[in-house]
Amino acid sequence: MNMQEALAPFQDAYATGSAQAVADFLSPDPPSRDPGRLYDFWRASNEDKIEGDVRYAFKYGRTSGMSPGEATAWLDIVVCYWRAVDKILKADQAKNQGKLSDRQLMDVYDAWKDITSNFIKYISNGTLPHWTVFTLYFTANNLRKFAIKADEQLAKAKPVAFSAGFQDDVVSAVKKSEKLEEAARVFNRIFALCLGDRTPDMMQSRKWGVYCIANLQFKTYFKLKAISLSKNVVRSIEAQNDLPAFHLYPASHRVTYKYYLGVISFLQEDYTKAESCLTEALNLCYAKSVKNKELILTYLIPCRLITQHTVPTAELLNEFPHLKRLFGGLVSSIRKGDLSGFDKALAEGEPEFVKRRVFLTLERSRDIALRNLLRKVFLAEGWEDLKEGQTEKDRIRKSRIPTAHFVAALRIGTAGAGSGQVVEDDEVECLMANMIYKGLMKGYISREHGMVVLNKKGAFPGTGV
Amino acid sequence: MSFPTSTVAWSQYPMQPPAYTSVPARTTLPRPAPPPPATPAPATPQKVEWSPAVRAYVSRAFDAENAIAGISQAEMTEKLRAIISSFAERDALDAVDWPNHPLPQEILRAERAAAKSLHPQVYQHSALMTSPNELANPPFDTPQSKKRKSQDKDELQARPAEASIPPWRRTNLEDRITYSNAHNDKRHKKNALFGDTASKLDQADLEKRKQRFQLPKSGNKSTPPWSSPRHDSDSDMSTAPVIGTNQSLEKSYFRLTAPPKAETVRPLHVLEKSLAMLTKKWKAEKNYNYICNQFKSLRQDLTVQHIKNAFTVKVYEIHARVALEKGDLGEYNQCQTQLKALYSQKLGGNPAEFTAYRILYFVYTCNKTDMNDLLAELTPADKTHPWIKHALNVRSALALGNYHKFFRLYLDAQNMGGYLMDMFIERERLHALANISRAYTNVAQRFLTDELGFENDDACREFLDSHGAQHIIDEKVDEQGARQFRVKVREGAAVFESLRAAAFSKVDIKGQI
Repeated sequence: MNMQEALAPFQDAYATGSAQAVADFLSPDPPSRDPGRLYDFWRASNEDKIEGDVRYAFKYGRTSGMSPGEATAWLDIVVCYWRAVDKILKADQAKNQGKLSDRQLMDVYDAWKDITSNFIKYISNGTLPHWTVFTLYFTANNLRKFAIKADEQLAKAKPVAFSAGFQDDVVSAVKKSEKLEEAARVFNRIFALCLGDRTPDMMQSRKWGVYCIANLQFKTYFKLKAISLSKNVVRSIEAQNDLPAFHLYPASHRVTYKYYLGVISFLQEDYTKAESCLTEALNLCYAKSVKNKELILTYLIPCRLITQHTVPTAELLNEFPHLKRLFGGLVSSIRKGDLSGFDKALAEGEPEFVKRRVFLTLERSRDIALRNLLRKVFLAEGWEDLKEGQTEKDRIRKSRIPTAHFVAALRIGTAGAGSGQVVEDDEVECLMANMIYKGLMKGYISREHGMVVLNKKGAFPGTGV
Repeated sequence: MSFPTSTVAWSQYPMQPPAYTSVPARTTLPRPAPPPPATPAPATPQKVEWSPAVRAYVSRAFDAENAIAGISQAEMTEKLRAIISSFAERDALDAVDWPNHPLPQEILRAERAAAKSLHPQVYQHSALMTSPNELANPPFDTPQSKKRKSQDKDELQARPAEASIPPWRRTNLEDRITYSNAHNDKRHKKNALFGDTASKLDQADLEKRKQRFQLPKSGNKSTPPWSSPRHDSDSDMSTAPVIGTNQSLEKSYFRLTAPPKAETVRPLHVLEKSLAMLTKKWKAEKNYNYICNQFKSLRQDLTVQHIKNAFTVKVYEIHARVALEKGDLGEYNQCQTQLKALYSQKLGGNPAEFTAYRILYFVYTCNKTDMNDLLAELTPADKTHPWIKHALNVRSALALGNYHKFFRLYLDAQNMGGYLMDMFIERERLHALANISRAYTNVAQRFLTDELGFENDDACREFLDSHGAQHIIDEKVDEQGARQFRVKVREGAAVFESLRAAAFSKVDIKGQI
């Protein structure tokens, strides 16, 4: 195959004007229907001839109505792509032979970065049409993947860094993800490229790329554990008042954006905002993408526990087996008011919860389990006797309950001595004081009389009693 | 092949000394009598009596006849200062052949020519490792310089034998060619200068000035540091470890702005003695400012020499504990960050103790993100360790609002955990009080003393008084005639709540955003 033939798919893709099609051609992975494509493309030229070959192919191959300037831009990009393919194939080969050297994944990353930089260059000077920002998105996404791989290799090659420069301390600030951090800066440039486009014709604007690049940045910052940087992105978007209306963007951009916005708010403990963003994301989400819905619900469920003290329904959990495994134990313990069951489920799920960063939030829902337990005591106390002139309608529950009853309930609930759990009387009082303070229970504690005096109406707000 | 240098007697020095030679501190004027080309100047460090040779050299430098176009007098003066101070610092003034020493303006001209003609990198390496002859030649082909040639040959012959040439042997060559890793330069033993801070400061200033002029020409391709992208730490010449020669047990901390010099850095065995001395001093005097300063310089010396071992861990641990004791959480946090990295390399120490502190620290800072990351790192074995378990219990007690349990844990604090918990005990007392004030109408003061972990009723009373609760405390005498204080907490609810909110809104730690 010569370069002219090798570039035919590119010309076809370009002619369709589809960013995705062009991105498919410039993919680092061969399509499954043609596993040898990368290799064939690589074979079509060599390091010495590549520029000439591509130039020739562009000049004499099928021209797709490209201006000479634009052809130059694509020439550069395709040449960079060929070089990247060269590095990728070499790294693959070395890997298969089990002698991947330290440098090689770095080379792949660097080569891929060249493609990305060229895109940025030619898009920002207006040589490439606006729709190529989406091709750039795919390229950038691949850059992210290569950066992660390169960092993994770097970490293996030299696990500990000495302080550079004149620092006072032995170990410099941990820089485990050098390449991904660099990639993040590249993404930032792309983001600015989209956000700052001044083309008056909205149909020709790069502003349509804003959310999809923002999502890429979020993803990167989460990986880098630099989540707070995401806030800058959100802030710039919110400050930009000439973006097209949000609902005009593709649903996929919107869902992902709202999801990240929700998670970011969640982590900042702004649960109200988190709830609204995540709910919006869930409603927009493509019905069949179970995995995405699961991701959204992973945060929405803990969120609702805090904001509305509600647990997910059994139907919802049945729909998502993964979530059921994750939250099922907790949810049923909360419902039953089973504190030791709750503690056990929380401890069992801890590794996964911590990984998802929902542990500290879920932990707080122990309050609801406790509330349900205390409510049971209240219900078990039964009713006041009817006074003269009262009818069944006027019957009210007993609202003065000995503290000892609650203590007993908690002792049953926490599996007795030896479990290292709540037993002291004062501790039970303390927990009830918390319930009252947080508004989950209405009333007051009278220490002199060893009584808890609950409100006659709505002792446990929102639970019907 | 002319390699002009002055009369440093090569052979009199031993071959390259081992990395950590212990050098006894000198009190007299020792020096194995270098061939004195000029009358030895009296080595009083404070008021330097310049020798006639030096004076002649200075006046020669200022002589209008010797001025070179393109080099201003200011530049020349600067250089001159640098030259003289660099020798003075090493007590090598009398080792220099001043009448024949190239003038500062000549040196500057040579540097510029060299910088222009050679790629900086190549320049640097060739200057250091191979023949430095071509670089510096032109200005030295002055009639006076001929005398030195024979010695240069000796020196060049000696060169290949040396794996790396101790640069201090090239005494005045270094002033003609400048390179970045100045800390490699002088292995000279610094004499008796230490007691005098004033002169030391002057020297530090001079040295800084000197380095300011040198840095741009060297390794980092003349980009100013702020505009250059982060460079790989391996390729950075300036990070090669220094091997210290300083013998002082005490050393004030200065933030480095340039590579350190060997004579200001203390080798490991000195640092070990220093640590022992500091620990004793801390116990005896409890002077935190002094100790913190000393520990910072200790840490700096470890860093510049790339010493990472059990001793390093020990230094950081002790500093962290001292900082904790004094509630200096900024400094403590620095140590903690370092310790975390050091523990990951299994260098010994007490990881469990400091993991527990770290948990408590994040409780204090209310940093959910870091807490989450920390929880993610804990192994099941960690979680069963009593100290770590205690800290985890503190965390969960607070997360669940279980102040009863929290104050029990406070009274049972492990190691120095109590100091950390002291940082947020008041805040949590206010939180508990806000809680109680919503749940009870009035309580016995004794109840608060017990529940809020006060040592005695008086401490509790004082706390209440200082938090706007003095007017809600009633004194009652019960049937047996015992006095009892009751606190009408409900009336103080609003005050406690606003105090609580204020206490949680600010976590103020030096050096942290």
